[in-house]
Amino acid sequence: MRSLRRYLVTVLIALFTLISFVAALQSYKQSAIRAEALFDQDLQILASSLSQQYQAGSEQELGLALQVWQKGELVYRSALAPQTSMSDAEGFSEHNFAGKRWRVFRQTPTDVLTVIVAQPLKQRQQLADEVITASIYPVVLSLPLQALLIWLVVSKALSPIKRFSAQLSSKKANDLSPVELDQVPAELDQMLKTTNQLFARLADAFEREKRFASDVAHELRTPLSVLQVNLHNASQQWQRSNISDPEGSMLALQTGVERMSALIEQIMLLNRTNPEHFQARTEQLDLAGLCRQVVADWYPQIEKKQQQIELLGLEHLSLKGDAFALRLLVSNLVGNASKYTQAGGSIQLELCIEQQHALLVVQDNGPGIAAEEYNRVFDRFYRIGGDRHQSGTLGSGLGLAIVRDIVVLHQGQIRLGASDFSSGLKVTVELPL
Amino acid sequence: MLINTVLMFLRELLPLCLLLATLLVWHRSVWRSFALYFVLPSVLMLSLISLKMVWISEQLDGLGLELLYSFLYLSCFVLLCLSALKAQWAPLSSAIAAACLFSISGSNLLLYTWLPTQTENTPADLVLGSALGVGIGVSIAVLWYYLLTELKQWRIHSFALLLSLLGARQVMMASAILIQSDWLPAGPQLWQTEQLLSEQSELGFFLQALMGYEATPSLFQVLLYLLCFAVLFWCCSLMEKKR
Repeated sequence: MRSLRRYLVTVLIALFTLISFVAALQSYKQSAIRAEALFDQDLQILASSLSQQYQAGSEQELGLALQVWQKGELVYRSALAPQTSMSDAEGFSEHNFAGKRWRVFRQTPTDVLTVIVAQPLKQRQQLADEVITASIYPVVLSLPLQALLIWLVVSKALSPIKRFSAQLSSKKANDLSPVELDQVPAELDQMLKTTNQLFARLADAFEREKRFASDVAHELRTPLSVLQVNLHNASQQWQRSNISDPEGSMLALQTGVERMSALIEQIMLLNRTNPEHFQARTEQLDLAGLCRQVVADWYPQIEKKQQQIELLGLEHLSLKGDAFALRLLVSNLVGNASKYTQAGGSIQLELCIEQQHALLVVQDNGPGIAAEEYNRVFDRFYRIGGDRHQSGTLGSGLGLAIVRDIVVLHQGQIRLGASDFSSGLKVTVELPL
Repeated sequence: MLINTVLMFLRELLPLCLLLATLLVWHRSVWRSFALYFVLPSVLMLSLISLKMVWISEQLDGLGLELLYSFLYLSCFVLLCLSALKAQWAPLSSAIAAACLFSISGSNLLLYTWLPTQTENTPADLVLGSALGVGIGVSIAVLWYYLLTELKQWRIHSFALLLSLLGARQVMMASAILIQSDWLPAGPQLWQTEQLLSEQSELGFFLQALMGYEATPSLFQVLLYLLCFAVLFWCCSLMEKKR
């Protein structure tokens, strides 16, 4: 099919023409057959009307009534005709006699001779109906056939659009490959080209963005590391040389550089875990084991703040996921809990299975988050209270954004709520098994 | 009568419409040159036959026209075989094959329209009957064209099969004329399917146009038909292999 319009117009016109003409021919044939039967019947009626007077007692229900008058005297009448004149008016008229309504024709060919012929009206209508019905039937019967064929033709014509739509809807979020169709009709060609161009531009833009963020973060990490080393050396040197720093400039500088390093690390991680870029390598893994590893990683800091941490629930929880991404997810949640919970506080991790989903609940007894902030904390670079966060803890505002991306990547859900402790935050992550 | 005019136009036009639609599917990419190759010889041959019809029909003991028709039917088949074998000449030779069929249909229709016995037909009958006949023939051709386009895409040998049926049909028509003219022996009748599928029924009519359906064929006709079908199918298969 090169053009949808040409296909639809030609095929529909051909279908209509064919079905209408065939129906017309069938009507013609059926009407001709009925008309022939009608004329034959007329001949029979005429013959029987003339012969009735010779057959005693043979009164037919259907028949013509005939009268022949000569000089005012009835010289002939058929069995159905009355003794009196059936009509006094010349030409066609309608009269009642013998318990029926009749169509009467009176003709006076000469002054002395009058012929009157009558036929029951009911009989005439019945015969006319038969001819008309025979001609209408093929037309009426062709309508469902036309409807069926139109449906088939339109479905066929729209099939390239359906295939196009199916290909688009079956595409994954990160699939920006061009859509390919066999035999693209002219009307769809431009749309397909434009869509594919859009995909190509989008893929380029994503690639550029991905490379830009990654390159920038990577390029910044090296000088920052050098800066950190130099600051450390300078700080050591100041201590050895007993240089006083009453305003704490060196400490502030070190804190700033550390924060910037952490921010760059988070940007790189966010870039890696973005569902639009991330190519997940799903594998069967043990989430409980992964949680234990993360707790072990964070334990030095937790111990430093004299916090309590416990891992409750299942000892093994097998699910399909990306090991790197899930480790990062648990790490961010535990890291946040430790960072924002006061020294000596408690952190609790719990693993369980609910309705074919793995549930990871991380809660603490820290200050928590106000319910109206629950949605905003997933925004990138959003920190409650801005840089002057009440905890005074270093942060980039990207941790929960990364967590949410990882959850989306695994087609799961994340919910924030009040902790089961007297205060604090409870994060519930739900992942399909 | 109206119905006679419709049937006459359909009988003459339907085979031509089916052949043209099939050839257009084949030469879709060069349809303009195909149309040109078809129109010129068609007009030329039809004009010649119309102008010399009386002279032609008087030749060969009054069998001139019948024998010319047989020759044109056979030429149509041979040209279709040539088209399948010689790809570079395919548009030209198949267009001339269709022109042969057009000349027969055209001259028959001219005869029907202008024959003195047809004065029984009122002009209204003739106009309406020809419109119905042409309308049905062209509609079937359009639907046939799209059906064949679709079939060609999904079934590899469908085109070869249908073209071979159409080609063998022309030989069947030629053989029927030659048997009527006593140029070929009638031979024993092989079967009788008039009760099962009448040649006058709608389906019989269509099959007659497509594959030369005959309710009472002779053994000779059936063998000839099968042979011609096999030859053209082989030629078409060769063509498809070359592609």
